Amino acid sequence: MIKLINVTKIYAGQKEPAVRELNLTVEEGESCVLVGPSGCGKSTTLRMINRLIEPSSGTILIDGKDIRETDPDQLRMGIGYVIQQIGLLPHRTVAENIAIVPRLYGWPKDKIKERTDELLELVGLDPETTRSKYPAQLSGGQMQRVGVARAMAVDPPIMLMDEPFGAVDPIARNHLQDEFLRLQSLMRKTICFVTHDINEAIKMGDRIAIFNRGELVQHGSPHEILSNPVNEFVRDFIGYDRVVKKLSLCRVGAIARKDFGVIRESELPAAAEIMRKQQTEVSFLLDHLGAPGGMLARKLIEKQGAALSPGALKELAQKGREAFIQEDALLRDALSLLFELSVDYLGVLRGETLCGVVSLADIREYAAGKEVD
Amino acid sequence: MKWSWERFLVAILERAPQALIDHIGMVLVSLIVAIIISVPIGILLTRPRLKWLGGIILNILNLMQTFPGLAIVALAMPILGMGFKPAVFALTIQGLLPIARNTIAGLYGVDPDVMEAARGMGMSRKKVLYEVEIPLAMPVILAGIRTSAVYVVSVATLAAYIGGGGLGDLIVSGLNMFWPDFIVVGAGLGALLAIFFDRVLGLVEKKYTPLGYSTE
Repeated sequence: MIKLINVTKIYAGQKEPAVRELNLTVEEGESCVLVGPSGCGKSTTLRMINRLIEPSSGTILIDGKDIRETDPDQLRMGIGYVIQQIGLLPHRTVAENIAIVPRLYGWPKDKIKERTDELLELVGLDPETTRSKYPAQLSGGQMQRVGVARAMAVDPPIMLMDEPFGAVDPIARNHLQDEFLRLQSLMRKTICFVTHDINEAIKMGDRIAIFNRGELVQHGSPHEILSNPVNEFVRDFIGYDRVVKKLSLCRVGAIARKDFGVIRESELPAAAEIMRKQQTEVSFLLDHLGAPGGMLARKLIEKQGAALSPGALKELAQKGREAFIQEDALLRDALSLLFELSVDYLGVLRGETLCGVVSLADIREYAAGKEVD
Repeated sequence: MKWSWERFLVAILERAPQALIDHIGMVLVSLIVAIIISVPIGILLTRPRLKWLGGIILNILNLMQTFPGLAIVALAMPILGMGFKPAVFALTIQGLLPIARNTIAGLYGVDPDVMEAARGMGMSRKKVLYEVEIPLAMPVILAGIRTSAVYVVSVATLAAYIGGGGLGDLIVSGLNMFWPDFIVVGAGLGALLAIFFDRVLGLVEKKYTPLGYSTE
């Protein structure tokens, strides 16, 4: 746990404090994203936690212990640190870079080698081919992976990350973010993560701390912040599409409903009858193997269903054959698919099997909800 | 002035070997002393606490560099007398600047992000200096030593004027006696020696350039 109490930093020769009276707690195993415009004090805050910058006043506690009681070098050895520019030592190989902190701890050679290979695999690099390369021989994304691996070398409980994915292209960034989330779900480290990108903050943070001009403006879960921005600055900073952004916080499976009907291909002639009996808004068409292949909305059928031949019904149903989404997809993607296909319902799949339904109305309800979690 | 093959052979076979040895000795001693003085000065002047001194000392060294070699050699004589010692003193002064300047430039040139990352991982300042800064600045420092070496080889020919010996002896004798053969042997060997030092130090420089700097 990291606790900042009344922390203020005034740089020499400046009147305005870079960080003013900051109180912030990052719980054990939680990732807290510090976000704000440049010059808002977020990076200064991060560097005060590992004493690269000393606060002018206030106290910082790590696991209840004042960080000033620990020698700065010792303190830093126990905290993973990743920066945007990565800072791999260009004259050392990938393996030697990862081994820096273990060497400071004086680990034996074979233990270091074992750990290096393990870490390279963890971050998705092949130890055989990467181990003895120099940083200049790696791509930006690979370097960033090595940077993360290096920070995790001695498995520190706390990681400080300053725009760690800022220098890579958007596709690689997305990929690295996903992978880091996967790692974090396994390791549950206490993370302080600095970014200026609110979308990254929403994606990466269990909690978000929004800074402006050296002050903490709002601190809360992404959902809280998107639902209840405290002031105009936050509203502005998170963007006026905040409700749409909220849709990337929730997975389809979480709001999917079970009340959908099923019609086999052989039952098509009686489709209207069945749907009336099932009393569901929507039914999905299953082929003879049980795989979903189409969709019929009750509204539509009630209007004209009785008049349609089974062939026409099948054709109608098959118009919705793409209207299915995996349950672990984000609501944002579901909404996009709804718009793209111009339909009102999506079948929710778990692997190949149909397990629920989600409608435009359901998504709207979630987006409008203030305190649903 | 008349060219004599006889004297040429005398110059190259009898006088040159000793002169060459003296010359190389003078250059090596001055160069080593210059390195021992300049590199630590360069390192000290890039430490945060002494940065303010950097400009002043660099200016002094710059000024000393502008003194003509002969002037320093001449000025050293009344104080240190004649012979090897004053010659080495004069040459050392001439050799200081390129090394100090390159040491400072090399250390300033180290990527600050690399240093922040190293500090952030818990490397002490000393470790950062020895394991990060110096290795990364090494090619630039070695380039300074190389410049300095070539320079000192040429200035060392002036040492003959204060009895320092070396290839300058041959040149001075040649000039006094109107013996072109002596002048050619002295000056020619001096030039070859400068090229030799340059090449050898070039190889050293290549060897110590961190592998990661070449991307092939």
